[in-house]
Amino acid sequence: MTRLRNLKANINIWWLLSTCFVCLIIIPNMSIFINIFNAPNDHFRHIQKYLLKNYLSNTTILMMGAGLLSIAIGVSLAWVVTMFDFPMKRFFRWALVLPLTIPTYIGAYTYHGLLNYTGLVQRFLRNQLGLQVNQVYFNMMSINGAIFIFTIFLYPYVFIITKSFLEKQSASLIETSRLLGKSHFVIFIKVILPICRGAIIGGTSLVVLEVLNDYGVANYYGIPTFSIAIFKTWFGMGDLDTVVKLSAILMLIIFVLLYVEKLLRGRKRYSYTTSKIQPLQPLKLNGWKKHLAMVVCILIFTLGFFIPLLQLIYWMAISYKNNVNIQVLKLSSTSFLVAFVTASIIIVIATIIANYSRISKGLLSKIYGRITVLGYSIPGAVIAIGVMIFFIGLDRTLYGVYTWFNPTTSKLILTTSIVMLIFAYIIRFLAIGFNPIESGFDKIGKTFHEASRVLGKRMTTTFFKVDMKMIQPAIISGFILIFVDVLKELPLTLLLRPFNFNTLATKTYEYANDEMIHEAAIPSLIIIGIGMLAMLILNKVSTKEVS
Amino acid sequence: MKTNSMIKMVSVLLGLIMLVTGCKINTEDKSTGQDKVITDDTAIDETQNDDEKESDKEQEKTIKEQVVNLYTDRHYDTDEALYNKFTEETGIQVNIVKGKSDELIERLVMEDADTHADLLITADAGRLHRAKTKGLLQTVENDALLKNVPVNLRDNDNQWFALTVRARVIVYAKDRIDPTELSTYADLTQEKWENRILVRSSTNIYNQSLLASFIAIGGEEKAKEWAKGIVGNMARKPQGNDRAQATAVVAGEGDLAIMNTYYIGKMLNSSDVEEVNVAEQVGIFFPDQDGQGTHINVSGMGLTKHSKHSENAIKLMKFLTGELAQEQYANANYEYPVNVNVEPSALLKSWGDFKAQDIDLSLLGEYNSKATRLFNEVDWQ
Repeated sequence: MTRLRNLKANINIWWLLSTCFVCLIIIPNMSIFINIFNAPNDHFRHIQKYLLKNYLSNTTILMMGAGLLSIAIGVSLAWVVTMFDFPMKRFFRWALVLPLTIPTYIGAYTYHGLLNYTGLVQRFLRNQLGLQVNQVYFNMMSINGAIFIFTIFLYPYVFIITKSFLEKQSASLIETSRLLGKSHFVIFIKVILPICRGAIIGGTSLVVLEVLNDYGVANYYGIPTFSIAIFKTWFGMGDLDTVVKLSAILMLIIFVLLYVEKLLRGRKRYSYTTSKIQPLQPLKLNGWKKHLAMVVCILIFTLGFFIPLLQLIYWMAISYKNNVNIQVLKLSSTSFLVAFVTASIIIVIATIIANYSRISKGLLSKIYGRITVLGYSIPGAVIAIGVMIFFIGLDRTLYGVYTWFNPTTSKLILTTSIVMLIFAYIIRFLAIGFNPIESGFDKIGKTFHEASRVLGKRMTTTFFKVDMKMIQPAIISGFILIFVDVLKELPLTLLLRPFNFNTLATKTYEYANDEMIHEAAIPSLIIIGIGMLAMLILNKVSTKEVS
Repeated sequence: MKTNSMIKMVSVLLGLIMLVTGCKINTEDKSTGQDKVITDDTAIDETQNDDEKESDKEQEKTIKEQVVNLYTDRHYDTDEALYNKFTEETGIQVNIVKGKSDELIERLVMEDADTHADLLITADAGRLHRAKTKGLLQTVENDALLKNVPVNLRDNDNQWFALTVRARVIVYAKDRIDPTELSTYADLTQEKWENRILVRSSTNIYNQSLLASFIAIGGEEKAKEWAKGIVGNMARKPQGNDRAQATAVVAGEGDLAIMNTYYIGKMLNSSDVEEVNVAEQVGIFFPDQDGQGTHINVSGMGLTKHSKHSENAIKLMKFLTGELAQEQYANANYEYPVNVNVEPSALLKSWGDFKAQDIDLSLLGEYNSKATRLFNEVDWQ
C-alpha cells in the first residue's frame, strides 16, 4: 500500500515538472498563434496569389533534396565507419562530424567566395592558366547550390545518430548475418537499413527542420522559401496577422512531417535484450574496397570541412590586420559560457520530460514529447517575438516585487537581461537534447527500470541509480549538439540580446551582412575551433563507451 | 514528503505567474490592434501618471548614470570607434544593441514606455518613417542639430535625422559600355538592355526604397511598368548582395548593375587584391541627371519617445552629425556626409557631383508596402 502511494507521489513530481516546462514552452508561442483564426486580409490574399506556390515548391525541393542526400551520405558513411576497418578510420569516425561546426550561412558564403569570379578557383584558372570560364558552371547561388550547402553541412546529424546506433545496437544481428554468409550489400539493405530506420529518420528530421528554418542561406542565395516569406511579410509589410497565418501553414507542414516520421519509425522497438552490450567487430577491408572507403571519406570530409576551413584561413590571412582590435577573447568566453549554461539547463529539462513520457503511457505524455520539438520547428524570429512579449508581460507583473527590493528599479529587468535570451535558446534547442535522450531511453528499454522497481526501489532512486547511468552517452551527445548549436545561433541572439552583448556568431553575422566577409573569418574560425573541441570530447566519450 | 510539497508550492506559484502574464498578453494584444484609439486613452493616462511618478526617480538616475542606449542596425567598426571617441570627450558611456532594423522596431513597439533605448539608428529612411508612424520617436528641436542636418535630410517634424547619404546608381563594365549610352533608370527597361542587367533580390530594402521613390514620383502604374521591364532585362535571377552584382558585371554575366556607391568604395579598399581589380574595371554612372535626379537614401537616427537619457542622446546626435564624425563616415565608410560643412572624401569626389532625387524621404517609408507588392506582382524575386 505504501509502495503504491509512493509511486503516485513520484509520478506527480515528474508530471508536475514536465507540465511546468511544457507550459513554459507553449505560452510564449501562444501569444503569436492566438490570432490564427482571424479572417485572411489583403496581404495574405496577395501572397496567396503571387507567391505561395513558388515558396512551397522551393521549400519542398530544398527539403527533399537535402533530406535524401543527407540520408545517402550520412547512412553510408556511418555504415562504412562502423562495419569496416581501413586506414585513418579512427580519424574519420569523429572528423566526419566536423561539418556540423560550420554554420550553414558561413558555409554558403565560403563556397560562393571560393567559386565566384574573384574566388581562388577562377582566379587560378584565369591568372595562371589564362582560361576564361563560363560563370554558369561556377554558380553556387541556385537551388542546387543551396541543396549542396545544406547537405554537406548538415548530413552529420544523420551520420552521428546512425553511427552511434549501429555501434551499440546491431552487433548480434549483423554478426549473425555475416555468419550466415550474407554479402555486405545484402546486410546493408536487409539488416542495417531496417534496424536503423528510427535513427535515420530522427537525424533526417533534424536536417529537414533546419532547412525549413533557414534564413541566411536562402536569403544570400536569393531563393524564395517559406522562411523568407515570413520575414518578408513581417518586416516588409509589417503584417503580424499574415505572418501568423504563414507560420501556421508552416507548422502544419511540420506536424505532418513529424507524424509521417512517427509512422515511419513504426511501433517496433529495438532494445537491449541482455545486460551485455557487445560491440561489433569491424571487418578489415583490402584492395580496392579499402581505397574506395578512404576516398569517399576523404571526399566528404574535404568538401564539408577542409575546403571551407582553408577558405576561412585564407580570408583571415588577408584581413587580420584590419580587425586585430576585436576582443576575440571576450567574445569567445561569452559564447562559450552562454552555450554551456543553455546546454546544461536543456539537458535537465529534456531528461525530465523524456523520462516522464517514457514511464507514463498516457496520451498526454506523448503530446509532451511532441511539444518539445515545437521550438525547433518555428522560425527563430517568431520564437523571439513570442518570448519577448512573454517577458515584457512577466516584467510588468513582477514590477511590484522589483520595487520592493530596489525602489528606483526600472521596469524591464528580465527583458534586458541574459535570462530572456537563454530562455529562448531553451525553447529553440530543447528538441536537440530531447531526441537523443528519448532514443537513449528507447534503446535501454524498460527491463532494467522495471527490475529495479520490482526490487522495491522508488522511481527517483531508480532514475538516478539505473536509468541515468545507462543513458549517459545520450546525455553527453545531446549536450554537445546543443552546445554547438547555441554557438552558431543567430536570429534569437540578434533580437533578444542585452546591451553590449556580442557572441562570435553575431560578430560573424555583422561582418558578413555588411559584405565584409573577410573580416568575418576570425570569429567564424573560433566558432569552428570550439566546435571541434566539443566534437573531440564527444568522440572520446563514445569511444570509451564502445570499447 | 517535504520536498514534494515544496515542489508543488513552487509550481503553483509559477502557474499563477504564467496565468497573470498570459492575461496581460491578451489585453496588450488588443490594445495594439485596431481599436487602439479607444482603449489607448486610458492606457496613456496610466502611463502618464506612472511617468510622472517615475520622472523624479529617473532624473536622479540620469545624474548618476552617464549613459546613452542605442538600438542600431549599423554594424561597422568605424561606428564603434566614433562612439568611443564620444565617450572620451563627454564621459557618457554608449551602450549598444545591434540587430536588424525591422526587428529592433518591433522590439521598441513591444517595450513601449519601458524601453531602455534612447536612440534608434537604421540604414533606411523608410524604416525611420515606419518608426515615426508607429509613434516610437519624438521631436528634437536642437539648434546645433538642425544646423548640422539640412532640411531635406530630416523628418518634417524633426523626428528623425540623416547621418549619411547613399546613392543607388548604375555600375557598368568599362570595357563594354560607353557611359553615353546610359541615361535614366527608365531607359534600363528598353529592349537594348535585354539579358544585360544585374540586380539583387526584392527582399532587399535598397530596391524597395528605389521602387518606392518611383511610386512617389510617377505613380504606381509607371513604377510597376519599370519593375516589369527590369525583370524582363535581367541577365540572371536576382541573387547575392551588392558586391556580388559588381563582380558579376566584371565576370561578364551582365553588363551593368544597379547598386549603392559605397560598396565600390569598399571594394576599392578591400584587403583582397582581386576585389580591388573588379572595382577598378567598373564605372559609376549617376542616372536621371536631366530629370528627377539619382535615387538617394539615408541612414539616420531618431530619439525614442520614451528615452530616459534624452539629453545624452541629443549630445550624441550632435556629435554624430558634427564635422569630425561626418568626415569619418565619408573617409572610412565611403558614404556621403550630411553636414554641408564637410567635404566628401577624395574618392567620393572622383565619382563626380550629382543631382539627387528631390522627394520627401518619408515617402520611401509610406510606399514601401506598395513597392513590395509590385515586386511580387511582376515576379522580381
